[in-house]
Amino acid sequence: MNLRDKLRAIDASPPRKPAPSAEVQRTDCRCTSEIRPVSDFPGFGELNRETLMLMQPDCIPDCFDPYRILYMDTETTGLGGSGSVAFLVGVGRMGENGFEIRQYLMRDYPEEPYLLEHVAEDFGRFDLLCTFNGRSFDVPLLESRFRMNRMNPAPLRLPHLDLLYPARRLWKLRLGHCTLGDLEARVLGIPRTGDLPGSEVPQRYFSYLKTGQLCMLDDVLTHNAQDIATLCVLLCRMAHFYRHPEELCHQEDTFSMGRALEKTGHHTEARRCYRLAEHGRVGGKASGALARSWRRAGETEEAVKIWQRMIETRKGGVTPYIELAKYHEHRTGDLETALDLTRRAMILLYEPALYAEGSVQDTENALKYRYDRLKRKIAQKE
Amino acid sequence: MNVTQLADRLRNDENFMQNVVRWEVQPAREARTVPFPDSLDARLLPVLQKRGIHQLYTHQAHSIEATLRGEDTVIVTPTASGKTMCYNLPVLSAILRDPDARALYLFPTKALSADQVSELYEMIGDLGVDIKTCTYDGDTPSAARKAVRQAGHIVVTNPDMLHSGILPHHTKWVKLFENLKYIVVDEIHTYRGVFGSNLANVLRRLTRLCEFYGSRPQYILCSATIANPAELASTLTGRPVTLIDDNGAPMGERHFVFYNPPVVNRQLGIREGCIPVTRSISGMLLKNGIRAITFARSRLTVEVLTKYLKDMVRDPLGNAGRVRGYRGGYLPTERREIEHGLRYGEVDAVVSTNALELGVDIGSLDACVLCGYPGTIAAAWQQAGRAGRRRSTSIVFFIASSSALDQYIVNHPDYFLRQSPENALLNPDNLYILLNHFKCAAFELPFRDDEDFGNAPSPGELLEYLSEQNILHHVGGKYHWSAEDFPASEISLRSATSENFVIIDITDPARHRVIGEMDRFTAPMLLHENAIYMHEAKLYQVEKLDFDACKAYIRQTEAGYYTDADLNVSLSLLDIAEEKPVPGGGVCALGEVKVTALVTMFKKIRFDTHETLGFGPVRLPETDMHTTAMWWTLPDELCASFTGDALKNGMLGVANLLRIVCPLYLMCAPQDIAVQYQVRSPITDKPTVIIYDNCPGGIGLSDKAFGMRSLLLEKALQIVTDCTCECGCPSCAGPAGEIGTNGKQAAIRILRELTKDEPAR
Repeated sequence: MNLRDKLRAIDASPPRKPAPSAEVQRTDCRCTSEIRPVSDFPGFGELNRETLMLMQPDCIPDCFDPYRILYMDTETTGLGGSGSVAFLVGVGRMGENGFEIRQYLMRDYPEEPYLLEHVAEDFGRFDLLCTFNGRSFDVPLLESRFRMNRMNPAPLRLPHLDLLYPARRLWKLRLGHCTLGDLEARVLGIPRTGDLPGSEVPQRYFSYLKTGQLCMLDDVLTHNAQDIATLCVLLCRMAHFYRHPEELCHQEDTFSMGRALEKTGHHTEARRCYRLAEHGRVGGKASGALARSWRRAGETEEAVKIWQRMIETRKGGVTPYIELAKYHEHRTGDLETALDLTRRAMILLYEPALYAEGSVQDTENALKYRYDRLKRKIAQKE
Repeated sequence: MNVTQLADRLRNDENFMQNVVRWEVQPAREARTVPFPDSLDARLLPVLQKRGIHQLYTHQAHSIEATLRGEDTVIVTPTASGKTMCYNLPVLSAILRDPDARALYLFPTKALSADQVSELYEMIGDLGVDIKTCTYDGDTPSAARKAVRQAGHIVVTNPDMLHSGILPHHTKWVKLFENLKYIVVDEIHTYRGVFGSNLANVLRRLTRLCEFYGSRPQYILCSATIANPAELASTLTGRPVTLIDDNGAPMGERHFVFYNPPVVNRQLGIREGCIPVTRSISGMLLKNGIRAITFARSRLTVEVLTKYLKDMVRDPLGNAGRVRGYRGGYLPTERREIEHGLRYGEVDAVVSTNALELGVDIGSLDACVLCGYPGTIAAAWQQAGRAGRRRSTSIVFFIASSSALDQYIVNHPDYFLRQSPENALLNPDNLYILLNHFKCAAFELPFRDDEDFGNAPSPGELLEYLSEQNILHHVGGKYHWSAEDFPASEISLRSATSENFVIIDITDPARHRVIGEMDRFTAPMLLHENAIYMHEAKLYQVEKLDFDACKAYIRQTEAGYYTDADLNVSLSLLDIAEEKPVPGGGVCALGEVKVTALVTMFKKIRFDTHETLGFGPVRLPETDMHTTAMWWTLPDELCASFTGDALKNGMLGVANLLRIVCPLYLMCAPQDIAVQYQVRSPITDKPTVIIYDNCPGGIGLSDKAFGMRSLLLEKALQIVTDCTCECGCPSCAGPAGEIGTNGKQAAIRILRELTKDEPAR
């Protein structure tokens, strides 16, 4: 048995057809570009620094110019590690004549350095990078490719707005998960048809390498171009919602927007969103959040009003009872009322529709503890 | 009572002494020291002096000098000789002089790295400089990983993490690879067989990446005593390595007692069992307050002995925390707790498998009991080294079982005391292993057409093969990785298969908990349905073994027995590499075979009396392995001359004899090599005796056996003809109960025939 037969014998995989070895010497990768009309990007004109600061304050440059944002997405041969290659890098930018998408494709491995040079050059021309999940995937992967090709990865370190994180804050509550595809279909209302699933991309590229037929990559190129266009559409849409939360059509989203704004320290705007969400499916949560926000701001009387209203309208479960009990125990000193509220909360806890199992136990223990303490305090006083 | 008093008392105890074959006393040895080498950075000296170190042992000084001269070194000294200094000092010295310098420490297990790092931390703290030592392994929180990658001066990890967590992501470790000055590999004697062959390839990959980043790190390697440390070191690293073995550390007096349990049935050659004897000797140590470690060969024996010893010291509430069991399969936290207990004197007796052999710091114990020969001289010395450190007197009991190898050792104590320990063999060019690492290496960095992979043979052919499989893509003079997978994640360094079985206790239906794990090859033996599984001397019965999901469900039980499974092995031929005629018309061949293992049934064995209570079936899928083998087919004429079952019994006898001889003369552990016989072999269609490497792909033992085949047969013949038993005993061809009354004579005839013309070398 020779070495090859031995390798076959110990290796489970069946032999496959060898690839044709028609090598062509090239001095560049394949570069293509297309322009889409500005009208495809509603709300682009509204983009400004103030709005983006509401969204992700840590990465927006001082001299913000919406025409100096680079949108970027890659298609790769794997999920990471130094053996994964970005064989296609698509970039987009808004120009005078419309949205220009450029795609750099390496037709074979020797073209990678050219592709990376284009990328480095493009990055150098812009102030802000916009991606979807680029922070933990595309950019580190490109950085690794630069290292592998002994190129300096410094140009990649552009201020970076990764839309995944703000998008999650806004839509995770309603959508559960937030892939770019989910957002297109359920936020932007433009579901893709006939799109190539991302998981099939590497295999397409390997098939292309085997056959040399560029048409096998048509779907990948289309998919990538669409992703880049979507990045800009999504950014405009998100910016619009940040300015006009009342236009979000789902109460969950409005409530999420409130939480997102509160996190970035925009309390007035956040309360506005909570109030908008108070009458829908997440009304209880919204009211609770609104009251909490007032209390934190020191406006306890505002908060009390909301809690009382919540009890009247039977919203928010035991939360308003507990909050009011705290208020009376620690602020007004009205222990009898606090005890009464606690007792009512304990009774309410057993209305089965209120709470999912599991969370009840902790709440119940906390209530019992409070109840006993109030009893003791009252007894002491007497 | 201290050890010296105990030794005196035992030497006057006639009952005890009549079973003692040999009482060897190794005298205490003085320390040999020299001043600190000038080449060491002077800032280290006050730190060492503060710790009471004013001079270095000779081996420490010599190794440090060699390292600072730029040589790759391997240091071979026994336990507790201060070998960590041999690498910590040059590494710290280098970083003090060049704060950009980096070092990589590799330890075979996580526990060891935890131990070593704490010592390093103390020294760095005393130095008062900013040298960052970081552990990078599966337990490192992901938040801390980025900092380790960028700022760690000394990165402490294990081969598995290097293989799957660092090398494939080398672009994130630029600082480390660009400035790597030292690679420290401790406990290299553990890297033999599959694990070692894998590590050698991981180091080939590491060196390749260092070249890419323009660094050329030096190696500092450490090993316990083995026969071929320099050879092992240079096979692992692919470089010539300077050997440092002039141990200058002091050593207390040590007693070595060879104890052979009395024969209880002279006709059958059966001796008193080694477990009951160990029970009484370990028990005696426990009662006399002598802190001792007992080593047993199997997990099962560990559990049985732990139970016996615990029963001796149980308090009224049933607690016996002074006695602990320790073996692979306990969870890491439980092991750390036991190690801690040993170190701080809270545990008086521990019963362990070889899991505690490695350098885990458990402080010093006074006595060590070996329940059966651990299989190799190196391992026996390692285990014995657990008792007695630098100054005090210690005692080691070796209790022989009736197995042939044990009997050989106990009857030839000089073989044990004078013979050099075993070779650690590995085969970095094992095709299975090599192919896997070619994949990983290509993933990490494309291969150039003319590129070598360490000193691996014919890299071009392997690359061409992988490119035919469309795993690599050949273009522009390079082979590029062109598959979607992440090859390192599919390859385990420690075994042929990567999946482990988890063991889940379902005694409390509300709270299932994982109490241990076990590798895929052992699981069918110990975790089949209805097996009694023991954990810290508690008995569990396996209720269900989910083979596909790799889960075993067990429930606590009060059974009065334990179980022992029977393994059936069958072989088929893949390839013949070489054939030589055997005198009388047979053939001896070297080649490759497929080994299929299947557990078919188990025995129930009563505690205390060890009698067999019954049998049960096991229904589990078989496991396959390709490996190298050598075999003899017997001459037709000879076979025809036997009548009845004489041929079968004779072949069994020959196989039993080869099982004794092979580990001794191939200098390997008994479990590394397997011997089988087939009256009608599917390989040759004839009566055949087969020796094969007991690991996928083989590590070169069969090749070695093929080379010394005449010697092996000669020695087997000598053992069986020298033995005074009537018709076979466990010390030669096997007891008559196993090989029949005609087995011994038949074995002698077969061996005489095979060795007839060819004189031993």
